Amino acid sequence: MEPATTSEPSPLPLVRAERLSFRYPGAARAAVSELSLSIAAGELFGLLGPNGAGKTTTISILATLLRPTTGTVAIAGHDVVRQGRLVRRDIGLVPQEIALYPSLTARENLAYFGRLHGLTGGGLRDRIAECLAFVGLEEHADRRISEYSGGMKRRANLAAGILHRPRLLFLDEPTVGIDAQSRHTILAHLQALAGEGMTMVYTTHYMEEAEQLCSRVAIIDDGRILAEGAPAALVDGAVGCSNLEELFLGLTGKQLRD
Amino acid sequence: MLQFWATWAKDLLVLRRDRAGLLILFLMPAVLVLVISLVQNNVLERSGGSDLRVLFVDADGSPFSRQLGERLGAVEALRLITREDGAVLTPERVRTLVAAGDYPCGVIIPPGAGAALAERVRALAAQIGGVPGPPAVGGSEVVLCFDPTVQGIFRTALKSALGQVLLGLEVEAKARELSRSLGGGFAGGALGGGDQALRMLAGERLLTLQVESTAPGQKPTVPNAVQQNVPAWALFGMFFIVVPLSGALMRERHEGTLLRLRTLPVSYGVILLGKIAAFVCVCLVQFSGMLLVGRYLLPRFGTPALELQGHLGAAFGLAFCAALAATGYGLLVGSAARSYEQGAMFGAISVVVAAAVGGIMVPVYAMPAAMQTLSVVSPLGWGLRGFLEIFVRGGDFAAVAGPAAALLAFFAGSLLLAWLFLARAGSRGR
Repeated sequence: MEPATTSEPSPLPLVRAERLSFRYPGAARAAVSELSLSIAAGELFGLLGPNGAGKTTTISILATLLRPTTGTVAIAGHDVVRQGRLVRRDIGLVPQEIALYPSLTARENLAYFGRLHGLTGGGLRDRIAECLAFVGLEEHADRRISEYSGGMKRRANLAAGILHRPRLLFLDEPTVGIDAQSRHTILAHLQALAGEGMTMVYTTHYMEEAEQLCSRVAIIDDGRILAEGAPAALVDGAVGCSNLEELFLGLTGKQLRD
Repeated sequence: MLQFWATWAKDLLVLRRDRAGLLILFLMPAVLVLVISLVQNNVLERSGGSDLRVLFVDADGSPFSRQLGERLGAVEALRLITREDGAVLTPERVRTLVAAGDYPCGVIIPPGAGAALAERVRALAAQIGGVPGPPAVGGSEVVLCFDPTVQGIFRTALKSALGQVLLGLEVEAKARELSRSLGGGFAGGALGGGDQALRMLAGERLLTLQVESTAPGQKPTVPNAVQQNVPAWALFGMFFIVVPLSGALMRERHEGTLLRLRTLPVSYGVILLGKIAAFVCVCLVQFSGMLLVGRYLLPRFGTPALELQGHLGAAFGLAFCAALAATGYGLLVGSAARSYEQGAMFGAISVVVAAAVGGIMVPVYAMPAAMQTLSVVSPLGWGLRGFLEIFVRGGDFAAVAGPAAALLAFFAGSLLLAWLFLARAGSRGR
């Protein structure tokens, strides 16, 4: 199946990655190879790929966690390597793990991360209340994270990521391991954030989720982009595919990945 | 600063919620000091001895003093040292080295000791035989000086060994005088028979032992198990902060919190400093608690109360340095370990080993020579040496400058290594 590109990004992208490559120390091959991306402000961009395809590595580079071996990335015009501090003001991260302190309550966790973002006093209190209400946890704000269900933890994780109103939010499989109800709620929250104009880069293994949510997706494997565009346009342009999952399997193969 | 204090407050809150961890941190050292002090107070002071390094100065140079040195050197479990750094020891140098804790004890034979003994023997013989002789002269005392930290069993062992050698030399000197007055025979004569000979041999001791516990000018102290065990186990407890601290760092790494922290617009160095400050505060609270235990709780169980006779400011200054060393080591373990279990196990075991090697459990002077050499590499040993300067020898800031500098250097080295490990993990996205 041929790689496809079906829609042009905005002329003023919020994220611009040029020929990005990254090889982990000691690794035989590159985790990301010559990858170029352009994501416009307000887009909900999906990064799809099998295990080990390079999704998390790509997000880690964009979020200033890894320095690219070669290539450049600019976020809101700032270089992620040379202007990391400026980039970090504009981004939020919702990692795969529940990146919160289990022995602290949701409110205490958000207060800590809020202070690290420079929020204080009444402004911080109001913003915490707003975020907790947004993810439906206001009634459980003073319970410890360790007492939360899996879905509640995922929602609290999302609240911590949006606390400082980032322009760009990275979500690395935010719905993994939770029930359908919690997944539905989180997707609704993400759609609401997209409606407010927040730009999001989103990785998932659930194709129907990406089809429903993302304005544009990139299917990657072996660190390279195989196809990029709006989900419906990608499916329409692929011969013999009726949905994104068929296209995905057609591009990445059906063999098991370790 | 907001980020620093936010991290400081968060880490204290996380620790406060970890009740099991707090129990380990605060209750364990208190129980250890109680049990060990009681055991040592009742048993150790009365039980056997061990090899002792004894500084020996012969300022007399007489046949008597040479014999004393030879016989003392032949005593099993004593190692006589007559030179230090290639130079012959002097009485002043011996007192300085012992007072500084470099050696546990020293024996000084003052000038004229042999001649004085001979004079006193002749005077005694004349007095007992009713024969006009030389007037009795005051004998020079053999001086035995101890580091105040050296406890009962070792003092008793050395005093006993030296006493026996002195008694043997004195009896021989008396017998020689007896023999001389009898004109080579030993069955009556000038001394008037067996009774007088017996009086001569078994009578007044002519050689006496003067025991010193501190160097001149130093504050007198009463060393006991509490004075040593309270700072020792307080140090042990402080270094046990390694377990919760490395665990906290491991959890941040494995639960994704570290990733989130590294995407914030604040230097991770500031976050680490806040963490260090929080754990150092916990260590200082621990240390204060242990001083209170030694002062007020231990006496209720029949031990002497901890005497805060040294410079308390120096004690807290040293405790601060030890707390930094402990937190630095905790960060190193937490950043180097690959799993929580690995970090907790290695952290706990390494602290126990460092405590054992550093003299927390058994005084360094009671260890085999090889272990004594090894003890210089233990940060707990450095800290203990400093605390003994304060609590046993009444030392001040200057007295603990060496151990404090060593602990700070250990902190700096640990922090640097931890930073390198974290940077290495960061380059792999962990």
